Amino acid sequence: MADRYSFSLTTFSPSGKLVQIEYALNAVNNGVTALGIKATNGIVLATEKKSSSPLIEPHSSSKVALITPNIGMVYSGMGPDYRVLVDRARKVSHTGYKRVYNEYPPTRILVQDVAQVMQAATQSGGVRPYGVSLLIAGWDDGILPEEELEVEVEGEKKKISGKTGGILKGGPSLYQVDPSGSYFPWKATAIGKSATSAKTFLEKRYTEGLELEDAIHIALLTLKETIEGEMNGDTVEIGIVGPPEDGLLGYEGVEGAKGPRFRVLSPQEVEDYLTSL
Amino acid sequence: MGSPFSMNGGACVAMVGKDCVGIACDLRLGMQALTVSNNFPKIFGINDSVYLGLTGLATDVATVSDLFRFKVNMYRLREERNISPDTFANLVSTSLYERRFGPYFVSPVVAGINQTSGKPFICGFDSIGCIDFAKDFIVSGTASDQLFGMCEGLYEPDLGPDELFETLSQALLSAVDRDALSGWGAHVYIIEKDKVTKRLLKGRQD
Amino acid sequence: MDTLVAQYSCPAIEDTTLDAEQDELLHGPDALSLNFSLPPIAQPSSWLRAMTDDASNPNCPIKIAHGTTTLAFRFKGGIIVCTDSRATQGNWIASQTVKKVIEINNSLLGTMAGGAADCQYWLAYLGMQCRLHELRNKRRITVAAASKILANLVYSYKGMGLSMGTMCAGVTPQEGPALYYVDSDGTRMAGNMFCVGSGQTFAYGVLDAEYRYEMEDEEALELGRRSILAAMHRDAYSGGFINLYHVKEDGWVKHGFSDMNPIFWKTKLEKGEFSNVTADME
Repeated sequence: MADRYSFSLTTFSPSGKLVQIEYALNAVNNGVTALGIKATNGIVLATEKKSSSPLIEPHSSSKVALITPNIGMVYSGMGPDYRVLVDRARKVSHTGYKRVYNEYPPTRILVQDVAQVMQAATQSGGVRPYGVSLLIAGWDDGILPEEELEVEVEGEKKKISGKTGGILKGGPSLYQVDPSGSYFPWKATAIGKSATSAKTFLEKRYTEGLELEDAIHIALLTLKETIEGEMNGDTVEIGIVGPPEDGLLGYEGVEGAKGPRFRVLSPQEVEDYLTSL
Repeated sequence: MGSPFSMNGGACVAMVGKDCVGIACDLRLGMQALTVSNNFPKIFGINDSVYLGLTGLATDVATVSDLFRFKVNMYRLREERNISPDTFANLVSTSLYERRFGPYFVSPVVAGINQTSGKPFICGFDSIGCIDFAKDFIVSGTASDQLFGMCEGLYEPDLGPDELFETLSQALLSAVDRDALSGWGAHVYIIEKDKVTKRLLKGRQD
Repeated sequence: MDTLVAQYSCPAIEDTTLDAEQDELLHGPDALSLNFSLPPIAQPSSWLRAMTDDASNPNCPIKIAHGTTTLAFRFKGGIIVCTDSRATQGNWIASQTVKKVIEINNSLLGTMAGGAADCQYWLAYLGMQCRLHELRNKRRITVAAASKILANLVYSYKGMGLSMGTMCAGVTPQEGPALYYVDSDGTRMAGNMFCVGSGQTFAYGVLDAEYRYEMEDEEALELGRRSILAAMHRDAYSGGFINLYHVKEDGWVKHGFSDMNPIFWKTKLEKGEFSNVTADME
């Protein structure tokens, strides 16, 4: 019966559902778990890199991708669909923004643009929805002057950066985008097969005023709960949004030039974090 | 008939001061020799700290100012923030270049203060969007030769808001008094971080 | 045979009565005005027009100072002559203090509009001719005769690119107050009221509305001033100072060379005219 409403053009079922989108979500929920945690001074994105065969070259595939120098993303669901979206996200951040304003889009704007691409696939003829959910992490410079916030952490007062994310204040932000095109900002979340248990774990471990190093630690612990195989530099992939890495700029001596904040950690770096776990 | 840039006449000048910028324009609108209006300001507020001056063909001045009002309103709705002068300058540049093979006959000037850095910002453009970033002053319009002369003569760096107003006004009034197609009064804006002062100058009426 | 006859016979009337002035009228201008070097090409007149005539070729390389409003009108008390003082080359205001009224002698005035150099040169030349006439004939030249000297002169250069629109105003015992318009096309006409120059229409507007022959002197002076003011305000190529003259039976009287700006604001604020001009924001 449901087959009658699963045409190539996504069509409402009499109950008001778009079953194609639900199927797409099923694809996501069968996907490899990915998670993201927002800290005061950065964000971490992490996922398991599964290889179907021990014969595969481990470095040939990557799941955490850079979109703009300050924005990166990871997915759960169908790999090929993801790579199309990475392509579209990179492209739209230029055509829809950098070419017009000569600066990269703030995270929320990029998220909206990507979400629009995904929504369009739920309403156009001859296409199917994307079979992925995305976690998009980025840092915005903001337009307000920097201020300090006082936060109470486990009974004691702690001063943290007022850059809590967003276009106005600036700072880190973490979004999830679903196949329907809806998107949500998170402090920490997970998508994929073990999303529910991972989120329960994150709820327990997450605290306000978290620093990036702590966040990476928590990310690996969370992943450890859900991962099936061995955890090492080749099976875990981590991307971080941290301080500007001027060394990655490729040049020096240009006044005001800042290095990219987003980068994917090398297997060796992941290995180092795993040993200190 | 002559160039579209000099059919209606008009002049605009912007200057950088210490923690402030100024932008001023004349008020004339003419059809060749005939003065049609003495109240045609060429400066448009983009937001509280960014201003756009447009000289050239009057119909394009109106069209382009409306276009940027639209684009900036869309930006504000989408991003929930005011556009900074630097970003607006890039928007002006790309918008003008979109008409590379059928340009708007305008010479825009942008003046403002970047609210994040607190730094003054001015720049000018040709009609197809080449940005002229300047540290001191930008001139445009039918009196631009005269304005260059006045600004080179009167400008000094780090003027306070009141001195900047004086310098800017003298430069504009003296320049338009040597141009047949501009003058008939002027508007002067002095933009500080949290204050904008708009003044009307009574110029010669010939 | 004819040549032989011609050689030994003398004409019936020896033509010795022609004086210099008549000779000039018959045979064209004298040496002074024939000394101009012309461009060494086949068609100097069309070449000159192409190079210097702003109206037919806006990109002409030689820009001649232009743009003016001048007016003169006859009334009960004589003639009012009034001009602006702006000279422009393209949109550039070359001068705000040009004297566009030329005092030919103490009862004759000329005005200049068009090419500044043409007007200045030929009205000075006219001044010289008028003085020579006075010396030769022991009496003042009439306005009719003076204007005709100028008209004939410019006619002899017709097509060579001269650009001038002038008025000759004067009072003589023979004519009373007389006013002539002469331009570089060769037009010469007498009349009661003329406005000449790029701002002429604006001046006519005020003048036509308010003009009466029976005006008192003060009224007439004010009307001349107000008409020029209107033209200076609306015409981009007119402005500067108001140059005002009153020509009377016993010669002309100058009524100042005064900046238009204070006069304009006084007219606006005290009489409520020029309400189109904003004095406050919005």
